[in-house]
Amino acid sequence: MLVSRRTQLYDFHVRNGHMVEFAGFEMPLWYQGIVPECKAVRNSVGIFDVSHMGRVLISGEGSTAFLDYVTTNDVAALEVGRAHYSVMCNEKGGIIDDIVLNRLAEKRYLMVFNAGNREKDLAWLKMKAERFSVEIQHISDEVSMFAVQGPNAQRVLEEICNEDLSQIPRFGGRYVDLDGVKATVTRTGYTGEDGFEVFTWDSPIEKPSRAVTVWNAILDHGKSSHIQPCGLGARDVLRLEAGMCLYGSDITELTTPLQARLSFVVKLTKNEFIGRDALAREKAEGVKKVRVGLKVLEAGIPRAEYDILKDSQVLGKVTSGSFSPTTNQGIAMGYVPREYSKIGENMEIRVRVKNLRAAITSFPFYDTSKYGWQRTQA
Amino acid sequence: MKINDYEVPEGLYYTKEHEWVKLEGSSCRIGVSDYAQKSLHEVVFVDLPKVGAKIVRSQSLGSVESVKAVADVFAPISGEITEINVKLVDSPELVNQQPYGDGWIAVVKPSNLEAEIKNLLDARGYADFLKTQIK
Repeated sequence: MLVSRRTQLYDFHVRNGHMVEFAGFEMPLWYQGIVPECKAVRNSVGIFDVSHMGRVLISGEGSTAFLDYVTTNDVAALEVGRAHYSVMCNEKGGIIDDIVLNRLAEKRYLMVFNAGNREKDLAWLKMKAERFSVEIQHISDEVSMFAVQGPNAQRVLEEICNEDLSQIPRFGGRYVDLDGVKATVTRTGYTGEDGFEVFTWDSPIEKPSRAVTVWNAILDHGKSSHIQPCGLGARDVLRLEAGMCLYGSDITELTTPLQARLSFVVKLTKNEFIGRDALAREKAEGVKKVRVGLKVLEAGIPRAEYDILKDSQVLGKVTSGSFSPTTNQGIAMGYVPREYSKIGENMEIRVRVKNLRAAITSFPFYDTSKYGWQRTQA
Repeated sequence: MKINDYEVPEGLYYTKEHEWVKLEGSSCRIGVSDYAQKSLHEVVFVDLPKVGAKIVRSQSLGSVESVKAVADVFAPISGEITEINVKLVDSPELVNQQPYGDGWIAVVKPSNLEAEIKNLLDARGYADFLKTQIK
């Protein structure tokens, strides 16, 4: 029998949320509803339990060289106390997973990857680590992980934190005390908003008290900001609005980071890394298909797997689609041949029996003067 | 009557796909049930049929959609669409607020009501069916 896994916050989710199974975990899809939860994050603050995500500590003499070999971004250039987005590729340049790598110390890293890839990534890392002097410690079930996201995230967290969080830059992080509990906070997230991810150390699933303490403290102190616990539904919509990829849908082992428009994390000039030759070749030959954003210009909602057309010719498929509560329209991502990928290009999306007019749009989908992390710094 | 949290008004006919039918003289008003709207949760879009469209029993005439989900609306009876609820264009949430009232979807002039009505459930029959759907 396949038993669904739970996080440290399972009791809270069951009491307050509408539960679904996701990547083998029993998780909340929503509490109040996807729309109010998205609005809370865009306008104030929301909190997500993302303890289902995979987390490993990678340490040892060879850790930097190893990570530079298995990931595409420049790990040697990552400063201690900073994080970066990256991908792991196979030899063909296909994406094994997208990750966030935090450099906790000179030779100690925290890698965060997708829940659905926990076993695959762990096996991949262990296999590729053989010739490096590294230790890989799987801590997904020992450390809880929450995301506190939105323009008021810092204000809420600061009330229970012993440190000045305004000193943490985007993609920076540090060790702190949160309501007396040891935690690491990083200025990262998957919503496009300013916000933090909170790792509560020593809070295993069998003994979740520290995780629950931190979660409840954030909810309590967020009351005046109308903090909203948010489920996986809002998480998926918010990341799509921000133009961020979902592994398994928008990126897979059959797509390369160049096709996915993630070339900013591919450092072809660094030392040998897995997938480099294939990616260098693809770059030289020209990328054939690319990931684009599509906004629907009439009423209707695109969904994954719907065809993308131009002049009645099918050019590609939607990989993620949804109604956007922030822009109040249908939005999507998908792949089209590079020659059709210009911003403003008119396309159609076949929604069941009819075609919707759509236009290729830059990411994020929302107005960055009103929403997203950049506006909070204005 | 009420089954768990779900309203099942008497006097309407229902399908196992959770549409309702209300006889209004020679016409039928149709919509989706309280169970259907609660399952979808937040309705953000209703894909309405066109007035004049011919619909065939059990075939999709449109959809009711939440942020993450699409539910087809299947024609409970065959006929021609004579009216659609244009209020749903700007206020799809009416399906959540009043599934049997202002959240109706269309009015149909039936073409074969006498024969097809036998396929529909009355409130008691639908309530019994709902019980089998709810764990």
